[in-house]
Amino acid sequence: MDGEISKFTIEEKLSCQSLTPQTTVNLLDSVDVFLFDCDGVIWKGDALIDGVSDTLDTLRAMIVFIICVGKKLVFVTNNSTKSRRQYAKKFHSLGISVSEDEIFSSSFAAAMYLKANDFPKEKKVCLSVTFFSFSFFQCRFSSVCFSIKIMLLILAQVYVIGEEGILEELELAGFTGVGGPEDGKKTAHLKPNSLFEHDKSVGAVVVGLDQYINFYKLQYGTLCIRENPGCLFIATNRDAVGHLTDLQEWPGAGCMVAAICGSTQKEPIVVGKPSTFLMEFLLQKFNIPTSRMCMVGDRLDTDILFGQNAGCRTLLVLSGVTNLSDLQDSSNHIRPEYYTSTLSDIISLFNNYQSSF
Amino acid sequence: MLFSKFSAAAVSSSSATLFLNPQNRFNFAKKTPSIANPLLCNSLRPIVEWSFSKRNCSRKMDASASSRTVSPRASAEQLKDPDQLIDSVETFIFDCDGVIWKGDKLIDGVPETLDMLRSKGKRLVFVTNNSTKSRKQYGKKFETLGLNVNEEEIFASSFAAAAYLKSIDFPKDKKVYVVGEDGILKELELAGIQYLGGRYEDGEKKIELKPGYMMEHDENVGAVVVGFDRYFNYYKIQYATLCIRENPGCLFIATNRDAVTHLTDAQEWAGGGSMVGAIGGSTQREPLVVGKPSTFMMDYLANKFNISKSQICMVGDRLDTDILFGQNGGCKTLLVLSGVTSLSMLQNPNNAIQPDFYTNKISDFLSLKAATV
Repeated sequence: MDGEISKFTIEEKLSCQSLTPQTTVNLLDSVDVFLFDCDGVIWKGDALIDGVSDTLDTLRAMIVFIICVGKKLVFVTNNSTKSRRQYAKKFHSLGISVSEDEIFSSSFAAAMYLKANDFPKEKKVCLSVTFFSFSFFQCRFSSVCFSIKIMLLILAQVYVIGEEGILEELELAGFTGVGGPEDGKKTAHLKPNSLFEHDKSVGAVVVGLDQYINFYKLQYGTLCIRENPGCLFIATNRDAVGHLTDLQEWPGAGCMVAAICGSTQKEPIVVGKPSTFLMEFLLQKFNIPTSRMCMVGDRLDTDILFGQNAGCRTLLVLSGVTNLSDLQDSSNHIRPEYYTSTLSDIISLFNNYQSSF
Repeated sequence: MLFSKFSAAAVSSSSATLFLNPQNRFNFAKKTPSIANPLLCNSLRPIVEWSFSKRNCSRKMDASASSRTVSPRASAEQLKDPDQLIDSVETFIFDCDGVIWKGDKLIDGVPETLDMLRSKGKRLVFVTNNSTKSRKQYGKKFETLGLNVNEEEIFASSFAAAAYLKSIDFPKDKKVYVVGEDGILKELELAGIQYLGGRYEDGEKKIELKPGYMMEHDENVGAVVVGFDRYFNYYKIQYATLCIRENPGCLFIATNRDAVTHLTDAQEWAGGGSMVGAIGGSTQREPLVVGKPSTFMMDYLANKFNISKSQICMVGDRLDTDILFGQNGGCKTLLVLSGVTSLSMLQNPNNAIQPDFYTNKISDFLSLKAATV
């Protein structure tokens, strides 16, 4: 793996100071890549947070004295409802220019996980065909004559409890995704003698945020995981709640994932933050040590933990799900290196420092 | 195993039967959750102290985790002499799904067995985790199956939820938000507790995640009760989540946490454990469980009928709810193999829950007796 992951001393990890002009400059000096979470950092629902656009522009084109020290920007989001392409569109609609390959969504992570683990595009299923003979004279079936085993290659499918983003990323990676928003319209009929069928060729169930969750999907996912041998249970992320609209928090993927855990009694493979799976891609992309990356996020148990697990610098913004009292609560054990109110503070504090000369 | 038969056309010399070979196995091995739970315990303890409350405040997501507190037992004995067991107890508690019936079909020999036990003066009680019906509705089900069972002998987890709220003097001005079915609503009504939700209509409610949209919730909701709900949807999840997170002191009560349940006789269905898991996932709180294996119902009926727990035998088909329930309560336990548990599951080295006895079905009480005569 390119790049190195370094760990900080315990004192540095537990420092958790509010950003000041001086520490902002130090940070900008020692970091080449900024990793931004999206919900609660860049936007809230569909509303851009104040000052974000200017901040991103400034970071990209940062010039100190006459030297261009522009930062590389990457967006790492646990929200699996959109694909990278759809996120690029969202950025564009908010007036921010971001290219697809700067975006790392958990929907992308799920597809990449399957690819990295050689999830088969096809699956071998063994069928045993038994031939009985029918005797005309005695008018009955006599005992087995012979049986042969046939190996069939059928398309291995991925059942998705989630939205379009996951389906699109699976398709791009060459996998067959089934389920998704369409199954939100289906109902499960509980009738005697009626069987709820599920596709035996499903080799993985991917669970992410799904506002169209219903019993049909829970049952389908449960049957695949419990009855299809070797079926993988992958979670895009486990965020409990998130700012899906600007005014309030809504249940996140953590809810749907926990529902499937509840019915299968299995734990999932988590591909989104705080798992460092996505970091592998970032390291390949930049070939820069993680100690020169800074993770900026609003959530302690995903964003900041992800940054810490990967050996990055960490900055918590209080514009999302975490407020100061959450951070300072005695039950909280995750302490970022720095915290500040909102993303645009980086530039205002930097300008502050500049103007003090 | 699933197979489909292609029936021969009018005149044909052969027909083919297709078998898909993989066997269906249910893995009993459980792992601990990978994400730390900031809030491990429900801070509001019930006024009534039960033995289960400490076990339920564990960070493990499923109920069977409390099996870790039970020391390893000797292996279960196959039931050979039913008379000895019958004579040693006063009361039999029966689970329903997989013991008395499967879906809507009565299991063979059940009516005669129950009659025999009654004729011997044994008290019979039926405790089910299925919260979709109220006691009254279960009474009707027993009736249609030709069984002579009184409503007062039935304890469903729907009843348990209402009984629990009554036992803690749930305030009259507070409401309960229900993520569940009719049974819970009926029991709350009988207990004189106001409720919201649970109706089919809430299952039809849609939300629109757009700018400026905000879901309002009733600030007077003092408890959220979650059980099996086939009309489960995002609206209900959000409503319940808002109540639990934003209404101070709001209780989070689960009727049960069964992973799967036999709602039809043909197969298993995702159970209450799924809905409860979902609300647990979005609130990051552990619920108070009133159904098995929590001993709430055991304590309630022991109190009500004035019976000593050592005089009870719990008969069930599920290890991590029925048998654990009996063990937690200090009763004798009998596992029947007519439901979700097979002999190989019982004898699997990963299984730590060993009942005192096991047998095929409850009618063995009669057939084993006959065999020894």
